[in-house]
Amino acid sequence: MMDGRIETRDVAAVPVGLIETPVFSRLDQISTAKQWGNWAGYISPLVLDTMEFEYFAIRNQSTLLDVSPMHKYRVTGPDAETMLNRMVTRDLRKVAPGRVAYAMWCDEEGMVIDDGTLFRFAENDFRLCCQESMHGWLLDAAWGFDVEVIDESHSVAGLSLQGPTSFSVLQAAGLGAAGSLKPFDLVKLEPDLWVSRTGFTGDLGYELWVPWDRLTKLWDRLWAQRAPWGMRAIGTHALDMVRIEAGFVAAKVDFQPVLTASRLGRGRTPIELGFERLVHFDKGHFNGRRALLKQRDTGPRYNLVRLDIGGFKPAQDALIYHRKRREVGHVTSGIWSPTAKRNIALAELRAPFGGEKTDDLWAEVYVNEEGRWDKRLVPVTVQTKPFFRNDRARATPPRAF
Amino acid sequence: MNARFDVIVIGAGHNGLAAAEALAKRGKSVCVVEQSDAVGGMACDRLAHLLYNPAPSGVETREIDTVSLSPEGAHVLIRRGEARFTSGKPHPDAAAYQTLYRRLVRYAGLLHQLAEAPPPGLEQGVTSLAGLRELSRLAKLGVGVKRLGKAEMREFLRILLTNAYDLLLDEMPDGPLPGALAADAVRGAFSGPRSPGTVLSLMYRLRHGGGVFLPAGGMGAVAGAYAEGARRAGAEVRCGLGVTRVIVEGDKVAGVLLSDGGRLDASAVLSSVGPMQTMRMAGIAEFDIEAVRRARKLRAKGSTAKLNLRLGGVPEFTGLSAAQVKARLLVAPSVAGVERSFNPAKYGDLPKQPVLEMVLTDGTGPSTLSVIAGHVPETSWTTDRRESFTASVVETIERFAPGFGSLVEEADLLTPEDISAMTGAPGGHWHHAEMGLDQMLTTRPTVGMARYRFGVAGLYLCGASAHPGGDVTGAPGRNSAAQVLADGVA
Amino acid sequence: MGQHDRYDAIIAGAGHNGLTTACYLARAGLKVLVVEKNDWIGGAAVSRSLHEGWTYSNCSYVCSLLRREIVRDLDLPKFGLQVIPYEGGATFTANGDYFAYHSDHDALRREIARHEPRDVDAYDRFSQTVIRQCRFIRPFLLRSAPDPTSFKINDLQELLYLVKRAHGLGPRELAETLRFWTMSIGDFLDEHFENDLIKAHLAGSGIIGTGLGVYSPGTAYVLLHHYMGDVDGAIGAWGFARGGMGAISKALGDCFEAAGGTIFTGSGVERFLVEGGKIIGVALDNGDEYRAPIVASNMDVKRTFLEHTDAKDLPEDFTRAVKRFKIRGSSGKLNIALDALPDFPAAPKGANFLRGDLHASESLAELERAYDDWKEGRWSANPYFDMLIPSQIDPTMAPPGKHMMTVFVQYAPYALEKDGVCSGENWTEEAKKAFAETVFDKIEQVCPDIRSKVVHAEIRTPRDIEREVGLTEGNIFQGELTFDQLLFNRPVPGYANYATPIEGMYLVGSSAHPGGGVMAAPGANAAREILKKLGKGAAVAAEAA
Repeated sequence: MMDGRIETRDVAAVPVGLIETPVFSRLDQISTAKQWGNWAGYISPLVLDTMEFEYFAIRNQSTLLDVSPMHKYRVTGPDAETMLNRMVTRDLRKVAPGRVAYAMWCDEEGMVIDDGTLFRFAENDFRLCCQESMHGWLLDAAWGFDVEVIDESHSVAGLSLQGPTSFSVLQAAGLGAAGSLKPFDLVKLEPDLWVSRTGFTGDLGYELWVPWDRLTKLWDRLWAQRAPWGMRAIGTHALDMVRIEAGFVAAKVDFQPVLTASRLGRGRTPIELGFERLVHFDKGHFNGRRALLKQRDTGPRYNLVRLDIGGFKPAQDALIYHRKRREVGHVTSGIWSPTAKRNIALAELRAPFGGEKTDDLWAEVYVNEEGRWDKRLVPVTVQTKPFFRNDRARATPPRAF
Repeated sequence: MNARFDVIVIGAGHNGLAAAEALAKRGKSVCVVEQSDAVGGMACDRLAHLLYNPAPSGVETREIDTVSLSPEGAHVLIRRGEARFTSGKPHPDAAAYQTLYRRLVRYAGLLHQLAEAPPPGLEQGVTSLAGLRELSRLAKLGVGVKRLGKAEMREFLRILLTNAYDLLLDEMPDGPLPGALAADAVRGAFSGPRSPGTVLSLMYRLRHGGGVFLPAGGMGAVAGAYAEGARRAGAEVRCGLGVTRVIVEGDKVAGVLLSDGGRLDASAVLSSVGPMQTMRMAGIAEFDIEAVRRARKLRAKGSTAKLNLRLGGVPEFTGLSAAQVKARLLVAPSVAGVERSFNPAKYGDLPKQPVLEMVLTDGTGPSTLSVIAGHVPETSWTTDRRESFTASVVETIERFAPGFGSLVEEADLLTPEDISAMTGAPGGHWHHAEMGLDQMLTTRPTVGMARYRFGVAGLYLCGASAHPGGDVTGAPGRNSAAQVLADGVA
Repeated sequence: MGQHDRYDAIIAGAGHNGLTTACYLARAGLKVLVVEKNDWIGGAAVSRSLHEGWTYSNCSYVCSLLRREIVRDLDLPKFGLQVIPYEGGATFTANGDYFAYHSDHDALRREIARHEPRDVDAYDRFSQTVIRQCRFIRPFLLRSAPDPTSFKINDLQELLYLVKRAHGLGPRELAETLRFWTMSIGDFLDEHFENDLIKAHLAGSGIIGTGLGVYSPGTAYVLLHHYMGDVDGAIGAWGFARGGMGAISKALGDCFEAAGGTIFTGSGVERFLVEGGKIIGVALDNGDEYRAPIVASNMDVKRTFLEHTDAKDLPEDFTRAVKRFKIRGSSGKLNIALDALPDFPAAPKGANFLRGDLHASESLAELERAYDDWKEGRWSANPYFDMLIPSQIDPTMAPPGKHMMTVFVQYAPYALEKDGVCSGENWTEEAKKAFAETVFDKIEQVCPDIRSKVVHAEIRTPRDIEREVGLTEGNIFQGELTFDQLLFNRPVPGYANYATPIEGMYLVGSSAHPGGGVMAAPGANAAREILKKLGKGAAVAAEAA
């Protein structure tokens, strides 16, 4: 009966499983560790060779990381600034074209949806880079405004070049013009190549952005200059160490992006994450402002703090106690910092702990000593400054490592 | 120097006017701004013809009977809980009908108190003191329900959320009698009697006892009385003046800009138009992204058309006396038929057998038959479609009143599109927003907007999209005014 | 007069709920008898060999709602129960395309983007909302529904629990919850998605087994009801019971017998015996009589009280309420033995999503129109189907290389319209055939060669389901899942706690809270109530933390 009505179209089936970024073949060639992870559906190296060496390369030489899996959205149009300003908590009117701003954005209850970097290419031209998929949210946020939102996640690729010798590598690759970039500056150095002095390391570093199909060429161009500057390619594990040192928070680790949390009450406000300075109440309405205003008066429910932890054992997931008895929070990220030579952590404490109350705090650290578990209560102190700070991160023009 | 009022009300519909009156009575200086040249909004003769609740003071009303027409000629005469055939013969289901009707009116009376105050709030949670106060209001309803006695209480809880189709046909065989109730349950709604929630909308209509009233002087007089009430209380009502913008300063309303270029200052603005229009007036950027999304997704698909047929003479309906012709005439031959009339609207098509409510507005000399017809699609009203729908309504009436077609001198059809353009009602919806279970009480018009407060401090909703909803009652307006006073913003 | 054996408890009907109650009672030390009218146990959870070499799950066909607390309590894996998740699903279109519901999340996002990029995040938001609601509602499944008209301590406690849970939601979430519970699945999907095909794919769970359309309020809850399952912790995951749905009943039966219980098959309860308002036993079709102070009926509420209980033993208003209980059947089924795997020309060869639920309804409007037909007493001219080929995963279902296909079809009325009259009698052999042809025509859109591969097909209309299984009007939930028949209203207001007006008599089937779907929750909850009354505080299916 249906004969003749069936026309079997050649439907391109979507790939199942992880897919490759443009430089996967390069990474695969380099990789000795063969440790791959899933970054937004892409095969991304966790470790290419040895995590420790990759870490030290970030702090000592320079490193190259493929950040193409990041979600990237272009927002353009006459209302771009107004629309984004209503979305994020900080005042974007103060972010000039050619600048990048770290920003957070919240739901109506003031709970953080995600954080990311906003690149302002021109008056009416922005790009948002973030960890979570934000297309749906941006479309909602853009409704009623004269803007266009384009998902560039699969059309714009990026490399993060970080570390003391990163500028030297750029110079050698013919990109010395980046020397004039101050932190958070953004410039178009070549057709189709934008460079920003940004990164997730707290160190000197740059991010380079090109069309998807130009990434391999860019990789090769930088890779060719690696030898004199000790540059190496890295995976995300090493990056995670340095971002903790720099005190940067990671979505799904240090806070739960509220739109993806299926359990109630898991959301946290920017104030609770320690980013009140990025909440600009005086700029007019922005999403969650009314709820955040209330919290500014009543105080946060939690405090995400930096902790210096006693002992030498990393305190990942450790519970935090007050007076060794009352459980008041837990470590969200914890490592031994090889550079600061400290046992450092980010931890979420129930208010007032971590705020007014910072004394007599202890971490319960479990250590597996070759099959035997040792439980230790070690003292912790709350730190206000990042664990890693180096002037070279801010010097402009960059010093020669 | 701009003129300054305590409160500006956008729109002089009955709700806007009721709000103005309530506020002015409490000593507030109030200005009602109406874009069209007449007050009343949807409460105008072209659009509405009957009341289901007491009219504002100063308007005489006359309770009229309902005649549910039967294709077989066994028309049913209904007055509140009484039903018999128009021929005078007793109706076999009269007793079952009466029991059901009384029960519904009784339940509806319980729900009535919920309509006359802002809906129970959730902001406080249920364990705080303020939350307990909210709960105690619900508890009052609970006490009312409790007084019903256990069996009735259970019945109340069972039928509250059920559908009209099952409720009616459990009690009596299908026909014009249950058909009439089914039609009343879904008039103005984008649903058929099988949809759960239609018993609640039927009860909403019955909450003042179920009488059907014809206002002397028509709906225009009702609107006029609302306006008079507002003016008498000291409010100013300005027609022919639209609001182009609600001015917001520092997350507070500061006043409005007018279509004539003028500006009025005020610390509170009440809007009787829909949530989305209100957002646009104040600026989308002043609202949270979720709130805008909810307003966008509000269900407000108009499903009802109004047809005013000017007649060259008094029509004769087979089997109806001259007095009976002046009743509210229904074409709703069965519950299943009402459901069937809804089916095509779901797909944007016209009904094959429209359900009609008709009132002959003047019995002597040339008269007008005022017809509310459902269900119709909200949009895509081409000239062809308008004509074919008008023809099908006339043809339907012709079946009960032979020769009717030749009496029609002029037909004035108002589709949901027209109603929306005329009055600003979202989607041309009778109730500004669907009175579905998901858009009632605490979630009316939608989540986070139920207490009339509308994001920006000093901005309030006061129209039918707010709790309790549609019909010419002024209740949303009064409740909104109460909230403004409670908040102390003006 | 037959024999007069005495038991502590008798269960009428060996459906999965009856067996669950039986297991709990037997394990608490009671002497329990289960009587079953069919020659086999399982009710609607059965595996039957109707064509040599093939096994049909000829009624219910998927397993995911079965409460894990019960599975663990009764140690069902020990009695052979094995549930295997299936690998996705798809909806095919008439023009040769499809929407594949990949179990791989990244692939699913890519597939959604292929159809509508705006819907990619929308899907995650949608599933987040559904999971949130599931988390909220799941604990209620294994609790009795509180009676809001009662001031009994138990009811108050349950109400308090409800209030506490509701408070935990916070104001916005509570309002969203109220809205979700009262919405139609169509409106809910329209709110989230742009793409018709994606909406149609997700809508099925909102209408399966109901007499409602995708735009009927309350169908969002029905979707939840179907999503509350979990296969090993993954909320919403679906699975096959290895060996067919009968494997569940077999495990329960074996568990029961291991606990010392007795099952008699082949003769059902003809009459519940009542004396002075108390149950005293049952009389079977074959004339045998058995006595027990406790009798639990696994039959639906209508069958139990309108057909097998003397009306004089029941209060009039109770009987009236039972008569009013809505139990309209809305679905039919085709169970098909296939010579070989049918060809799916639209899908990539060997695509893993074929090992899941397959559909061919492309839009919500198409589904709604299918409902309109049912309202008029006709089967849908363009029906919705939920089609699976479990033999791709489960080797026990068909001979090697051959396949078993189960096709759940909606809508099909119980009372079929013919010449203006709606009646179950109108389901003649001819009508059944015509119904099957309609379904095959629709399957052909997906598998053009389906007819040539059919070795045997069993056609089941609501009428057949009633006749064989005993479900009144063939309603698969033993009663519609509408607001007025949920929680404290299920099955009859005032009798939501599994007790009946007859002392010692209980209702343990899906007519009782929380309803159908092979959850075994009514059976377990009823057992808890019975044991409580006997002063045996055995923990029954304690809520998982």
